[in-house]
Amino acid sequence: MKVIKKIIGSKLFITLVWIAVIIVIWEVLAFRVAEVKRTPENVLPHLTGVVDSLTSSKTINGSQTALEMVLENAGATLSRAALGYVIGIASGFVLALLMSLSGIIEKIAFPYLMLIQLIPILGMAPIINAITGDIAISRIVIAAILTFYPVAANTLAGFKAVRREAHELMYSYAANKFQLYTKTMIPACIPYFFTGLKISAPMAITASILVDTLQGGIGLGCLLSQSLKGAMTRYVFWDIVFFSAVIGILSFYLMGVLEILLCPYKRLEKKGR
Amino acid sequence: MAVKSISKRRSAVQSVVLPLIFGAALITAWQTGLLHILLNTDEYVLPYPTRIITIISENTDKIMVNVWASVQVAVLGLLLGSLLGYLIAIFAATFPKFGSGGLTIVSAFNAIPIVALAPVIINWTKDVSSEAEVRSTFAKIIVVTVVSMASMSVNAYRGLTELPVFSDDLMKTYAAGRLTEFTKLRLPNSVPYIFTALRVSVPGSVISALVSEYFAEYVIGVGRQIRENILIAQYSTAWAYIVTACIVGIVMYAILMVIEALVMKKRK
Repeated sequence: MKVIKKIIGSKLFITLVWIAVIIVIWEVLAFRVAEVKRTPENVLPHLTGVVDSLTSSKTINGSQTALEMVLENAGATLSRAALGYVIGIASGFVLALLMSLSGIIEKIAFPYLMLIQLIPILGMAPIINAITGDIAISRIVIAAILTFYPVAANTLAGFKAVRREAHELMYSYAANKFQLYTKTMIPACIPYFFTGLKISAPMAITASILVDTLQGGIGLGCLLSQSLKGAMTRYVFWDIVFFSAVIGILSFYLMGVLEILLCPYKRLEKKGR
Repeated sequence: MAVKSISKRRSAVQSVVLPLIFGAALITAWQTGLLHILLNTDEYVLPYPTRIITIISENTDKIMVNVWASVQVAVLGLLLGSLLGYLIAIFAATFPKFGSGGLTIVSAFNAIPIVALAPVIINWTKDVSSEAEVRSTFAKIIVVTVVSMASMSVNAYRGLTELPVFSDDLMKTYAAGRLTEFTKLRLPNSVPYIFTALRVSVPGSVISALVSEYFAEYVIGVGRQIRENILIAQYSTAWAYIVTACIVGIVMYAILMVIEALVMKKRK
């Protein structure tokens, strides 16, 4: 009895119940749509239909099944997103470090860091595409810009959150700047740094898919717009929608897992609870 | 004391002057063509600032029509989404067990790329109206709603539940009912958190309004104009709309800051 109660009370179970509720609502609406629409898969397909389209061995463009096609295009998009993400993380961290080290750099960069957040970078995607002239590079650039801001801002907040006592202790140890940063500042900013990573991971993916839609060629977004225009079965569109939703959510959780793996304090927190 | 105040004032002056120098240097580099060499591009794709300003001033009427369309979508979607998000937070705070699980789902929605969301919602709202303009606007508003909902619900939930120590005990000693507790304690406590959410979702609403325009049937809005003008290789016009989009984003954030300052001042 107790075990059952524990399972019902657990967070995972409640989340699963919510997912089940959403699936039921989706399916009920799908049956309704199937009755009134001529092409129900354009509006709201049955989930089984989407799963079928992913598992079926029927080829879509002559050589590939839907699953192979989605995966191949996802590879092109996501590898660029990942590269841009890493570049954005590195430059964001370095800028935060520089801003923390030098007051002048902080004063110059801080207002612009705020402004970047307000500028609709995604709206600038077409022009960046025109400047770089290559869709693969623009994917990387835009993913990097979008990653850069949350990482830099959060890491800087982490550096600032180091307590005065910690600074004083390091001062009494006669620690030099290098020691101060490697022993105190950088370890202290890591949780904030990971907050930045979690915010920007789905953004980097969104950016890459969006850039895809601007031009032909290979990529999830490109496939998505082709399917929307009717160049192939509409199920490919739904496959991509679900696939990118899952990838977006997973990328967020992946960063959380990475934090637990890399950071001892997170494991302690988990045990302590 | 005097030395300290002088150095403080100098630091304040520096934090205004230094960014301005940097900005001026950037614009000079742009206007003199240095930026073009650095980015390896030409003045056709990246027009000079003076040219962009000329185009904006020559096409003000047309630009304003598109700004109005985008701002309308962003603001209505933002309000609707924030309201829904707050209601979800109230629901989650009232039924903590099932509510917090629901919040997990809502925040998971936030990780869904808008590029996937926008075409789906545009599909679903095809029957709303027989006029393309109306149903496109409706669809775009819904996209912005979904995007702004998540940050509000998560933050407002924290505001409704993370109360000052012993404040709920105090409410109990007053024998306050749940409704009184809500209106006198939880609601006021959540106000700063509402602004935390809005700081994220105001820029977010502008971005999602622009992106949803890409997929909409009816061609209008600042985001769509950027794309349309690039398709016909009118880069200068596209840049005029990009600059406009940046101004819209900054102005909306500035308005939020003013409202926040007014509201928070009253609370003190």
